[in-house]
Amino acid sequence: MIKIENLYVSVEEKEILKGISLEVKPGELHVIMGRNGSGKSTLANVLAGKDKYKVTNGSIKFNGENLLDMLPENRARAGLFLSFQYPVAIPGVNNMYFLKAAVNAVRKSRGEEEIDAVDFLSMIREKLKMVDLDESFIHRPVNDGFSGGEKKRNEILQMITLEPKLSILDETDSGLDIDALKIVAKGVNDFRSPDRSFILITHYQRILNYMKPDFVHILMNGKIVKSGTMELAKEVEKKGYSWIEEEVAEAA
Amino acid sequence: MSISNYKAEFEKMLNRDYFSKSLHLYRKEAFAQLEKTGFPTRKWEDWRFTNVSIISDGEYKISEISDAPQTTPNIDSYQMEGVDTVVIYNGHYQKELSSVPDGVALLSGLEHFERKNGKFDTANNSPFDLLNTAFTDSGMCIVVEKDTQVEIPIRILFISNGVRSIMVNPRIYIDVAESSSLTFMEHHVGDAESFFQNESVFISLENNAQLNHIRIQSNSEFTQNMANINVNQDADSQYHFWQLVDGGKLGRSNICVQLNGENAQCYINILALSKNNQHIDNNIIVNHNSPQTHSSQFVKSILFDTSTGVFNGRTVVHKNAQKITAHQTNKNLLLSKKAKMNSNPQLEIYADDVKCSHGSTTGKIDEDALFYLQSRGINKQDAMELMVIGFANEVLDKIPHPEIKKAIHTEFTVKLNRLMA
Repeated sequence: MIKIENLYVSVEEKEILKGISLEVKPGELHVIMGRNGSGKSTLANVLAGKDKYKVTNGSIKFNGENLLDMLPENRARAGLFLSFQYPVAIPGVNNMYFLKAAVNAVRKSRGEEEIDAVDFLSMIREKLKMVDLDESFIHRPVNDGFSGGEKKRNEILQMITLEPKLSILDETDSGLDIDALKIVAKGVNDFRSPDRSFILITHYQRILNYMKPDFVHILMNGKIVKSGTMELAKEVEKKGYSWIEEEVAEAA
Repeated sequence: MSISNYKAEFEKMLNRDYFSKSLHLYRKEAFAQLEKTGFPTRKWEDWRFTNVSIISDGEYKISEISDAPQTTPNIDSYQMEGVDTVVIYNGHYQKELSSVPDGVALLSGLEHFERKNGKFDTANNSPFDLLNTAFTDSGMCIVVEKDTQVEIPIRILFISNGVRSIMVNPRIYIDVAESSSLTFMEHHVGDAESFFQNESVFISLENNAQLNHIRIQSNSEFTQNMANINVNQDADSQYHFWQLVDGGKLGRSNICVQLNGENAQCYINILALSKNNQHIDNNIIVNHNSPQTHSSQFVKSILFDTSTGVFNGRTVVHKNAQKITAHQTNKNLLLSKKAKMNSNPQLEIYADDVKCSHGSTTGKIDEDALFYLQSRGINKQDAMELMVIGFANEVLDKIPHPEIKKAIHTEFTVKLNRLMA
């Protein structure tokens, strides 16, 4: 699905990612954990194509294509999706209108016909149920005046509507109460399938009580310093990150 | 500044026999006063950012019978569903094209003048109100009697056309009596090659009256537009105003609202879209003269090319006007490096128990929002259009009457897409 090799990224001359390599295969769910400032969100934004990040070395192949050569909209059309840590409010732009424009942009790029308003509405009603939102939600402006939980559920709604191949969830679990967290986790779990992959970036082990990752990676100072399975996440939860730091220091 | 160019035209005006002589006194008085004050210059505090020399130095002629259409003009392209329309063409009333809804009395200026026992409302003595008083040549008096709900909106379609440099000075009176309601729309269109329109509107809302006032200024890029809107509100009355400006070379709206009775409310919504070297100025004064009154000013501008804009919003809360609420919001979107906006929201508060807020933002397209839309598969160009239309929708979405809203929305979207292509 995606293969990141030796990726170096700078923001305003400051090097944030220092040689990341990661391969995610179809159907897999990878978790990336790490402290604030370890480079988690940078990785997410680079994958989605935000232009203030400068790739100084390395490559990313997405289903065989060179991801770094693609515009953000083309990455989305090719099946990459980022659930934002802080979804942006867009006053005056109706959520439904936006979702329909997004769905049709993706469809058009695949050579499919645009979806008509009636079919779209019945589809979106189904999806709304899956994230426990009522219909009035899609008639509001995008993320404008939404609560934290609503914003995150709106991200998941977009994910299950656009049906990407690779979903990157950037701290989608942060700041959610337990009910909202369960809804988000359920939305992702219901969406899992053998041909869809996920990269879940998180600060907390909590969401892993509701999801089953295949791999867990620890990001530290711009590098993946340790990889493992669910057990690794549990160890971090129990002991924190300092023991890994010590390991890294010893190895150096 | 000299007004000598206008002197000869004024003499002509007085000699035209189809205007009532009973107004001459007021005309002369206004013109004499205008000669004293002159046209505003940029040294005047309220005119610092707007240069009117194109008007003061201009040689606009009064509109003659020959400027009226010789045959019935074709207004197909200006048709609008669901409204009754009155047509004024270069200052000349087109009776055969006009109709008004039930419940509305359309009076001549003279009839209205007599009804008011010879009281001729004059506004805050701004130079352009004085000019209008001196040169009033057309207009309408719309009177809605007590307890009358006028369901069908009434629209005045002002068409300005032709090659001759002319000026018109329409004067509109709208009187809505107690517990009555009306939707009034003014729609300014046309392809004039040189035109100066100086319009004065006098609105009087009695207790519990309600007026929706929609104003669309979409006339040619060779038109200078002055709009002087004076609103007086009694207790429990509501004034809702929407203005959409995309036409004209120079556009200035002087809006002055007096909230005289308790619980009088006014909501001013404006959207300005400017391109090339257009200049659009919205100058608003709201006076809270009574307790428990409410006002909001919501003004947005979208500026392309080298266009410029001004927002000057003043809210004055007088000493006894306790427990009022007043909000001012001005948001401006600059779509070119050379576009320029001057924003000046002001609150003057002399009461001590009030709730007031004001804010102003001017900026470019939000890059984070743009990226957000792109990350969902929408290309950059479409994403920008979506955001700019979204910016405009915050004003357009509130327009009452679905048919009017739809017509305005459609036309606006077409214009915007053309500018952004």
